Amino acid sequence: MQHTRKNKGLAVNRRLRKGLKGLMDPDPERRRRAMESFVRATFESFIRCLYRYLGNEVECEDVLEDVYADIWENPERLCNVTSDRELLRTVYLYYMRKRLRQVYRRLNRNLHLSQEGLKRLVAPEIGIVELLSQEELRHVLRRMIGRLKARERRAIELWMEGMSNRAIANELKTTVGAVKMLKFRTILKLKKELRNYNRKD
Amino acid sequence: MADINRTIQELLVDYAEALRDGSIPVFLKSLTREEAQRITSSREFWDATETVRILNGVGFADKAVTPNVSLFISRVDAKIASRLKKARAPSRERRGVRAKPVTKAEKTRKSI
Repeated sequence: MQHTRKNKGLAVNRRLRKGLKGLMDPDPERRRRAMESFVRATFESFIRCLYRYLGNEVECEDVLEDVYADIWENPERLCNVTSDRELLRTVYLYYMRKRLRQVYRRLNRNLHLSQEGLKRLVAPEIGIVELLSQEELRHVLRRMIGRLKARERRAIELWMEGMSNRAIANELKTTVGAVKMLKFRTILKLKKELRNYNRKD
Repeated sequence: MADINRTIQELLVDYAEALRDGSIPVFLKSLTREEAQRITSSREFWDATETVRILNGVGFADKAVTPNVSLFISRVDAKIASRLKKARAPSRERRGVRAKPVTKAEKTRKSI
């Protein structure tokens, strides 16, 4: 009952509110039935979030399947969620990160990268990415890319179109090494802009 | 990713490419000991990885093929059902007590 009252003030859509309410039920069978509306309401945002770390749809689906089953098993972390953003952040922190780490754990035996480095690379601490919604990120990125020099902007745009370094080098009439350097400098520049944006807002 | 001794700039660009193409395991396996150490000690690399993830999320997540949600829901349901089944099944200890094999000494004691 307490959870129901808490969820009344949610700034989330109806389907999600219904799903969250059902998830707080102590009966596992009822929780199982509530999963459908919860999955329908959150699937798109969750899979997009995972895609940032995996870049592969098949793996995203596999991980997400486990994430939803974990949520069904232990939904307590979600009882105080009040907005979409908070939901995504909580799910990332308490459910997704654990599963993301597991994906690469089996590889670790043959890797030179330390366990800590691997953790930082595949399931990092919460950052700007997790704090902003997809729409906000798109808006911020568009603004930041608009501030870049023409050549830097072109390199990033071509890369985002899916072009390889060699193809970008041909397009910009330069070498692959120069493209790599240009991309590295541009990414650092974007990072600086992002930090400034985060400080302002 | 054929180079053996890549600079931190090259490593970041390769990481970005691997993330875009969904081949992070290949990138991880391609790292030599020196490159892994270079990554671990480079602040620039860690700073830039977040931006790379943003670019990946904004640029490619929308282009990714979204699977059929109904089909996915049935997968989740099957997973939950299997966990429920596991939870309801008698624990190993209890089963162990029931199906405990009779030792030779016990057998002889019984027959006596």
